[in-house]
Amino acid sequence: MENKRVQWLIFFVIWLVVGALLGIALKAQFRLHTAELPSTRLPELARAYVQEKRTVQAMENEIRQLRQKMTELENALATGTKQTKVLNDSLQAAKMLAGLVEVEGPGIELILRDSERRPAPGSTESLLIDLYIIHDYDLLRVVNELRQAGAEAIAINGQRLVATSAIRCVGPVIYINDIKMASPFVIHAIGDPNTLLGALKTPGGVLSDIIDADPKMVEMHARDRVRIPAYTGSTQFRFAKPVPSEEVTK
Amino acid sequence: MIAIGMLGLLLGLLLAYLLLDIPIPAEWASYLSLAALAGLDTAFGGWRAALEGRFHPDVFVSGFIVNALLASLLAYLGDRMGVDLFLAAVVTLGGRMFLNLSIIRRYYLNQWSLRRSRG
Repeated sequence: MENKRVQWLIFFVIWLVVGALLGIALKAQFRLHTAELPSTRLPELARAYVQEKRTVQAMENEIRQLRQKMTELENALATGTKQTKVLNDSLQAAKMLAGLVEVEGPGIELILRDSERRPAPGSTESLLIDLYIIHDYDLLRVVNELRQAGAEAIAINGQRLVATSAIRCVGPVIYINDIKMASPFVIHAIGDPNTLLGALKTPGGVLSDIIDADPKMVEMHARDRVRIPAYTGSTQFRFAKPVPSEEVTK
Repeated sequence: MIAIGMLGLLLGLLLAYLLLDIPIPAEWASYLSLAALAGLDTAFGGWRAALEGRFHPDVFVSGFIVNALLASLLAYLGDRMGVDLFLAAVVTLGGRMFLNLSIIRRYYLNQWSLRRSRG
Protein backbone atom coordinates (compact mmCIF):
# COMPACT_ATOMS: atom_id res chain seq x y z
CA MET A 1 0.00 0.00 0.00
CA GLU A 2 2.83 2.33 1.02
CA ASN A 3 4.59 1.56 -2.27
CA LYS A 4 1.45 2.35 -4.24
CA ARG A 5 1.12 5.74 -2.59
CA VAL A 6 4.73 6.65 -3.45
CA GLN A 7 4.00 5.71 -7.04
CA TRP A 8 1.01 8.03 -7.17
CA LEU A 9 3.08 10.78 -5.66
CA ILE A 10 5.82 10.38 -8.27
CA PHE A 11 3.24 10.26 -11.02
CA PHE A 12 1.70 13.46 -9.74
CA VAL A 13 5.04 15.22 -9.35
CA ILE A 14 6.13 14.35 -12.88
CA TRP A 15 2.92 15.72 -14.35
CA LEU A 16 3.42 18.78 -12.21
CA VAL A 17 6.91 19.26 -13.61
CA VAL A 18 5.70 18.66 -17.18
CA GLY A 19 3.02 21.28 -16.64
CA ALA A 20 5.56 23.74 -15.28
CA LEU A 21 7.94 23.07 -18.19
CA LEU A 22 5.13 23.52 -20.69
CA GLY A 23 4.07 26.70 -18.96
CA ILE A 24 7.58 28.18 -19.03
CA ALA A 25 8.03 27.15 -22.66
CA LEU A 26 4.70 28.65 -23.70
CA LYS A 27 5.49 31.81 -21.82
CA ALA A 28 8.88 32.09 -23.50
CA GLN A 29 7.36 31.52 -26.94
CA PHE A 30 4.64 34.03 -26.21
CA ARG A 31 7.22 36.60 -25.20
CA LEU A 32 9.16 35.90 -28.42
CA HIS A 33 6.09 36.51 -30.52
CA THR A 34 5.19 39.70 -28.72
CA ALA A 35 8.77 40.86 -29.23
CA GLU A 36 7.95 40.58 -32.94
CA LEU A 37 10.69 38.09 -33.61
CA PRO A 38 8.75 35.79 -35.94
CA SER A 39 10.81 32.74 -35.09
CA THR A 40 14.18 31.59 -33.93
CA ARG A 41 14.61 29.74 -37.24
CA LEU A 42 17.14 31.13 -39.65
CA PRO A 43 15.13 31.66 -42.89
CA GLU A 44 12.53 33.77 -41.15
CA LEU A 45 15.15 35.79 -39.33
CA ALA A 46 16.87 36.38 -42.65
CA ARG A 47 13.62 37.68 -44.10
CA ALA A 48 13.12 39.91 -41.10
CA TYR A 49 16.66 41.18 -41.52
CA VAL A 50 16.07 42.12 -45.15
CA GLN A 51 12.83 43.81 -44.17
CA GLU A 52 14.57 45.85 -41.50
CA LYS A 53 17.29 46.80 -43.92
CA ARG A 54 14.70 48.09 -46.35
CA THR A 55 13.09 50.10 -43.58
CA VAL A 56 16.46 51.61 -42.70
CA GLN A 57 16.99 52.52 -46.33
CA ALA A 58 13.58 54.17 -46.54
CA MET A 59 14.31 56.10 -43.38
CA GLU A 60 17.66 57.27 -44.72
CA ASN A 61 15.87 58.53 -47.79
CA GLU A 62 13.47 60.36 -45.55
CA ILE A 63 16.35 61.91 -43.62
CA ARG A 64 17.86 63.07 -46.88
CA GLN A 65 14.59 64.63 -48.01
CA LEU A 66 13.93 66.27 -44.67
CA ARG A 67 17.41 67.77 -44.52
CA GLN A 68 16.93 69.11 -48.04
CA LYS A 69 13.63 70.61 -47.01
CA MET A 70 15.28 72.15 -43.98
CA THR A 71 17.80 73.88 -46.23
CA GLU A 72 15.00 75.22 -48.38
CA LEU A 73 13.14 76.51 -45.34
CA GLU A 74 16.27 78.13 -43.97
CA ASN A 75 16.77 79.87 -47.30
CA ALA A 76 13.16 81.03 -47.33
CA LEU A 77 13.52 82.36 -43.81
CA ALA A 78 16.65 84.28 -44.79
CA THR A 79 14.94 86.34 -47.49
CA GLY A 80 13.92 88.89 -44.83
CA THR A 81 16.55 91.15 -43.31
CA LYS A 82 20.22 91.35 -44.15
CA GLN A 83 21.06 89.98 -40.72
CA THR A 84 19.20 86.73 -41.24
CA LYS A 85 20.74 86.39 -44.66
CA VAL A 86 24.28 86.61 -43.28
CA LEU A 87 23.34 84.13 -40.57
CA ASN A 88 21.92 81.72 -43.11
CA ASP A 89 24.92 82.01 -45.39
CA SER A 90 27.26 80.97 -42.61
CA LEU A 91 24.86 78.17 -41.65
CA GLN A 92 24.84 76.83 -45.20
CA ALA A 93 28.64 77.02 -45.37
CA ALA A 94 28.89 75.05 -42.12
CA LYS A 95 26.47 72.44 -43.45
CA MET A 96 28.53 72.09 -46.63
CA LEU A 97 31.62 71.49 -44.56
CA ALA A 98 29.80 69.03 -42.35
CA GLY A 99 28.66 67.05 -45.39
CA LEU A 100 24.95 67.52 -44.70
CA VAL A 101 24.10 68.71 -48.20
CA GLU A 102 24.27 66.83 -51.47
CA VAL A 103 26.96 68.43 -53.62
CA GLU A 104 28.16 68.19 -57.20
CA GLY A 105 31.10 69.42 -59.18
CA PRO A 106 34.08 68.29 -61.22
CA GLY A 107 36.06 65.43 -59.73
CA ILE A 108 37.17 61.87 -60.16
CA GLU A 109 35.89 58.34 -59.89
CA LEU A 110 38.23 55.74 -58.48
CA ILE A 111 37.31 52.06 -58.42
CA LEU A 112 39.28 49.65 -56.27
CA ARG A 113 38.48 45.96 -56.45
CA ASP A 114 39.97 42.72 -55.19
CA SER A 115 42.16 41.04 -57.77
CA GLU A 116 40.70 38.14 -59.71
CA ARG A 117 44.07 36.49 -59.71
CA ARG A 118 43.99 33.34 -57.62
CA PRO A 119 47.54 32.23 -56.88
CA ALA A 120 48.02 28.47 -56.96
CA PRO A 121 48.02 27.00 -53.45
CA GLY A 122 51.54 26.40 -52.20
CA SER A 123 53.16 28.88 -54.59
CA THR A 124 55.19 31.77 -53.23
CA GLU A 125 52.53 34.09 -54.62
CA SER A 126 49.90 32.47 -52.41
CA LEU A 127 51.87 33.63 -49.36
CA LEU A 128 51.30 37.19 -50.53
CA ILE A 129 47.54 36.84 -50.95
CA ASP A 130 47.07 40.01 -48.90
CA LEU A 131 48.50 41.98 -51.80
CA TYR A 132 45.55 41.03 -53.98
CA ILE A 133 42.86 42.29 -51.64
CA ILE A 134 41.71 45.84 -51.00
CA HIS A 135 42.09 46.58 -47.30
CA ASP A 136 40.68 49.19 -44.98
CA TYR A 137 44.08 50.84 -44.79
CA ASP A 138 44.21 51.13 -48.58
CA LEU A 139 40.97 53.10 -48.45
CA LEU A 140 42.21 55.18 -45.52
CA ARG A 141 45.37 56.13 -47.34
CA VAL A 142 43.49 56.94 -50.55
CA VAL A 143 41.04 59.15 -48.64
CA ASN A 144 43.91 60.90 -46.88
CA GLU A 145 45.69 61.44 -50.19
CA LEU A 146 42.55 62.81 -51.82
CA ARG A 147 41.96 65.25 -48.97
CA GLN A 148 45.57 66.31 -49.15
CA ALA A 149 45.10 67.00 -52.87
CA GLY A 150 42.18 69.27 -52.11
CA ALA A 151 39.15 67.01 -52.39
CA GLU A 152 36.14 68.91 -51.03
CA ALA A 153 33.74 66.00 -50.74
CA ILE A 154 34.37 62.26 -50.77
CA ALA A 155 32.01 59.30 -50.84
CA ILE A 156 32.77 55.59 -50.89
CA ASN A 157 30.02 53.43 -52.40
CA GLY A 158 27.58 56.25 -51.81
CA GLN A 159 28.57 56.81 -48.18
CA ARG A 160 29.58 60.41 -47.62
CA LEU A 161 32.71 60.74 -45.55
CA VAL A 162 32.37 63.33 -42.81
CA ALA A 163 34.45 64.40 -39.82
CA THR A 164 33.16 61.51 -37.70
CA SER A 165 33.38 58.81 -40.38
CA ALA A 166 35.42 55.71 -39.70
CA ILE A 167 36.78 53.15 -42.15
CA ARG A 168 37.33 49.88 -40.42
CA CYS A 169 37.97 46.28 -41.45
CA VAL A 170 35.66 43.67 -39.87
CA GLY A 171 36.45 40.18 -41.12
CA PRO A 172 35.80 39.98 -44.87
CA VAL A 173 34.00 43.34 -45.07
CA ILE A 174 34.77 46.98 -44.42
CA TYR A 175 32.53 49.21 -42.35
CA ILE A 176 32.19 52.78 -43.56
CA ASN A 177 29.89 54.99 -41.47
CA ASP A 178 28.84 51.67 -39.85
CA ILE A 179 27.60 50.36 -43.22
CA LYS A 180 29.02 47.05 -44.40
CA MET A 181 30.82 47.09 -47.74
CA ALA A 182 32.93 44.80 -49.86
CA SER A 183 34.90 45.04 -53.09
CA PRO A 184 34.46 46.80 -55.48
CA PHE A 185 34.83 50.18 -53.78
CA VAL A 186 33.70 53.11 -55.91
CA ILE A 187 35.20 56.30 -54.55
CA HIS A 188 33.91 59.65 -55.74
CA ALA A 189 35.71 62.86 -54.93
CA ILE A 190 35.02 66.47 -55.89
CA GLY A 191 38.01 68.66 -56.54
CA ASP A 192 40.36 69.58 -59.36
CA PRO A 193 40.42 66.34 -61.41
CA ASN A 194 44.02 66.74 -62.56
CA THR A 195 45.35 67.43 -59.08
CA LEU A 196 43.39 64.51 -57.63
CA LEU A 197 44.48 62.06 -60.33
CA GLY A 198 48.05 63.32 -60.10
CA ALA A 199 48.10 62.68 -56.36
CA LEU A 200 46.82 59.15 -56.84
CA LYS A 201 49.24 58.36 -59.65
CA THR A 202 52.35 59.60 -57.82
CA PRO A 203 55.11 57.01 -58.27
CA GLY A 204 55.63 55.30 -54.96
CA GLY A 205 52.32 56.79 -53.83
CA VAL A 206 49.32 55.26 -52.13
CA LEU A 207 48.23 53.11 -55.06
CA SER A 208 51.60 51.98 -56.43
CA ASP A 209 51.78 48.76 -54.37
CA ILE A 210 48.31 47.78 -55.51
CA ILE A 211 49.04 48.57 -59.16
CA ASP A 212 52.27 46.60 -58.93
CA ALA A 213 50.37 43.59 -57.61
CA ASP A 214 47.67 43.70 -60.28
CA PRO A 215 46.90 46.76 -62.43
CA LYS A 216 43.34 45.53 -62.89
CA MET A 217 42.58 46.29 -59.24
CA VAL A 218 42.62 50.04 -59.90
CA GLU A 219 40.53 52.08 -62.29
CA MET A 220 40.33 55.88 -62.27
CA HIS A 221 38.71 58.53 -64.40
CA ALA A 222 38.34 62.27 -64.38
CA ARG A 223 34.68 63.32 -64.38
CA ASP A 224 33.16 66.64 -65.38
CA ARG A 225 30.35 66.19 -62.94
CA VAL A 226 30.39 64.09 -59.82
CA ARG A 227 27.41 63.93 -57.52
CA ILE A 228 28.05 63.16 -53.87
CA PRO A 229 25.14 62.41 -51.55
CA ALA A 230 24.62 64.01 -48.15
CA TYR A 231 25.55 62.24 -44.96
CA THR A 232 22.54 60.47 -43.48
CA GLY A 233 23.98 59.26 -40.20
CA SER A 234 23.51 60.75 -36.77
CA THR A 235 24.62 64.31 -36.11
CA GLN A 236 24.01 64.19 -32.38
CA PHE A 237 26.84 64.96 -30.01
CA ARG A 238 26.66 62.92 -26.83
CA PHE A 239 29.80 64.06 -25.09
CA ALA A 240 31.22 67.20 -26.64
CA LYS A 241 29.74 70.55 -25.61
CA PRO A 242 30.73 73.96 -26.91
CA VAL A 243 32.85 75.99 -24.50
CA PRO A 244 31.10 79.24 -23.43
CA SER A 245 32.59 82.12 -25.38
CA GLU A 246 33.98 84.01 -22.34
CA GLU A 247 36.05 80.95 -21.40
CA VAL A 248 37.58 80.36 -24.80
CA THR A 249 41.35 80.27 -24.45
CA LYS A 250 43.01 83.31 -25.90
CA MET B 1 -5.37 8.26 -12.60
CA ILE B 2 -6.64 10.86 -15.04
CA ALA B 3 -7.56 13.10 -12.18
CA ILE B 4 -4.12 12.97 -10.62
CA GLY B 5 -2.36 13.57 -13.94
CA MET B 6 -4.57 16.45 -15.01
CA LEU B 7 -4.44 18.03 -11.58
CA GLY B 8 -0.64 17.92 -11.71
CA LEU B 9 -0.58 19.36 -15.22
CA LEU B 10 -2.94 22.20 -14.36
CA LEU B 11 -1.12 23.01 -11.14
CA GLY B 12 2.19 23.00 -13.00
CA LEU B 13 0.88 25.33 -15.70
CA LEU B 14 -0.56 27.67 -13.09
CA LEU B 15 2.68 27.56 -11.15
CA ALA B 16 4.72 28.45 -14.21
CA TYR B 17 2.38 31.20 -15.31
CA LEU B 18 1.78 32.84 -11.99
CA LEU B 19 4.73 32.17 -9.74
CA LEU B 20 7.84 31.21 -11.68
CA ASP B 21 9.20 34.09 -13.67
CA ILE B 22 12.27 32.62 -15.31
CA PRO B 23 13.46 34.78 -18.17
CA ILE B 24 14.41 32.39 -20.99
CA PRO B 25 16.78 33.72 -23.65
CA ALA B 26 15.23 33.72 -27.12
CA GLU B 27 17.60 31.14 -28.53
CA TRP B 28 16.77 28.72 -25.72
CA ALA B 29 13.03 28.92 -26.11
CA SER B 30 12.80 26.21 -28.78
CA TYR B 31 14.98 23.83 -26.76
CA LEU B 32 12.79 24.31 -23.74
CA SER B 33 9.69 23.60 -25.82
CA LEU B 34 11.27 20.34 -26.96
CA ALA B 35 12.14 19.40 -23.39
CA ALA B 36 8.52 20.05 -22.45
CA LEU B 37 7.41 17.83 -25.33
CA ALA B 38 9.70 15.03 -24.15
CA GLY B 39 8.35 15.44 -20.64
CA LEU B 40 4.80 15.18 -21.93
CA ASP B 41 5.69 12.01 -23.82
CA THR B 42 7.18 10.41 -20.69
CA ALA B 43 4.16 11.38 -18.66
CA PHE B 44 1.83 9.69 -21.16
CA GLY B 45 4.11 6.65 -21.21
CA GLY B 46 3.94 6.45 -17.43
CA TRP B 47 0.18 6.66 -17.50
CA ARG B 48 -0.02 3.80 -19.98
CA ALA B 49 2.44 1.73 -17.94
CA ALA B 50 0.36 2.32 -14.83
CA LEU B 51 -2.77 1.12 -16.62
CA GLU B 52 -0.95 -1.99 -17.74
CA GLY B 53 0.25 -2.58 -14.19
CA ARG B 54 3.95 -2.30 -14.93
CA PHE B 55 4.67 1.18 -13.67
CA HIS B 56 8.23 1.55 -12.32
CA PRO B 57 9.00 4.90 -10.73
CA ASP B 58 12.74 4.62 -11.48
CA VAL B 59 12.14 3.96 -15.20
CA PHE B 60 9.59 6.74 -15.26
CA VAL B 61 11.75 9.40 -13.62
CA SER B 62 14.95 8.55 -15.47
CA GLY B 63 13.04 8.39 -18.77
CA PHE B 64 11.63 11.82 -18.10
CA ILE B 65 15.03 13.41 -17.46
CA VAL B 66 16.98 11.60 -20.19
CA ASN B 67 14.34 12.15 -22.89
CA ALA B 68 14.04 15.83 -22.14
CA LEU B 69 17.82 16.28 -22.21
CA LEU B 70 18.25 14.21 -25.37
CA ALA B 71 15.54 16.10 -27.24
CA SER B 72 17.09 19.46 -26.37
CA LEU B 73 20.58 18.19 -27.17
CA LEU B 74 19.45 16.93 -30.57
CA ALA B 75 17.87 20.27 -31.38
CA TYR B 76 21.00 22.11 -30.26
CA LEU B 77 23.27 19.85 -32.32
CA GLY B 78 20.96 20.23 -35.30
CA ASP B 79 21.14 24.00 -35.04
CA ARG B 80 24.94 23.86 -34.90
CA MET B 81 25.14 21.45 -37.87
CA GLY B 82 22.50 23.16 -39.97
CA VAL B 83 20.35 20.03 -40.06
CA ASP B 84 16.86 20.17 -38.58
CA LEU B 85 17.58 17.35 -36.13
CA PHE B 86 14.86 18.58 -33.78
CA LEU B 87 12.41 17.05 -36.26
CA ALA B 88 13.67 13.61 -35.22
CA ALA B 89 12.69 14.31 -31.63
CA VAL B 90 9.35 15.86 -32.63
CA VAL B 91 8.38 12.96 -34.88
CA THR B 92 9.47 10.25 -32.46
CA LEU B 93 7.94 11.84 -29.38
CA GLY B 94 4.81 12.91 -31.20
CA GLY B 95 4.25 9.48 -32.70
CA ARG B 96 4.76 7.79 -29.38
CA MET B 97 2.38 10.14 -27.66
CA PHE B 98 -0.37 9.28 -30.14
CA LEU B 99 0.35 5.57 -29.69
CA ASN B 100 0.27 5.76 -25.91
CA LEU B 101 -2.83 7.89 -25.93
CA SER B 102 -4.64 5.42 -28.20
CA ILE B 103 -3.77 2.57 -25.85
CA ILE B 104 -4.95 4.60 -22.87
CA ARG B 105 -8.17 5.45 -24.73
CA ARG B 106 -8.79 1.79 -25.58
CA TYR B 107 -8.26 0.78 -21.98
CA TYR B 108 -10.89 3.19 -20.73
CA LEU B 109 -13.31 2.31 -23.55
CA ASN B 110 -12.93 -1.36 -22.69
CA GLN B 111 -13.59 -0.69 -19.05
CA TRP B 112 -16.64 1.35 -19.89
CA SER B 113 -18.16 -1.29 -22.14
CA LEU B 114 -17.36 -4.01 -19.58
CA ARG B 115 -19.14 -2.00 -16.91
CA ARG B 116 -22.13 -1.50 -19.20
CA SER B 117 -22.46 -5.16 -20.17
CA ARG B 118 -22.26 -6.07 -16.49
CA GLY B 119 -24.91 -3.41 -16.14
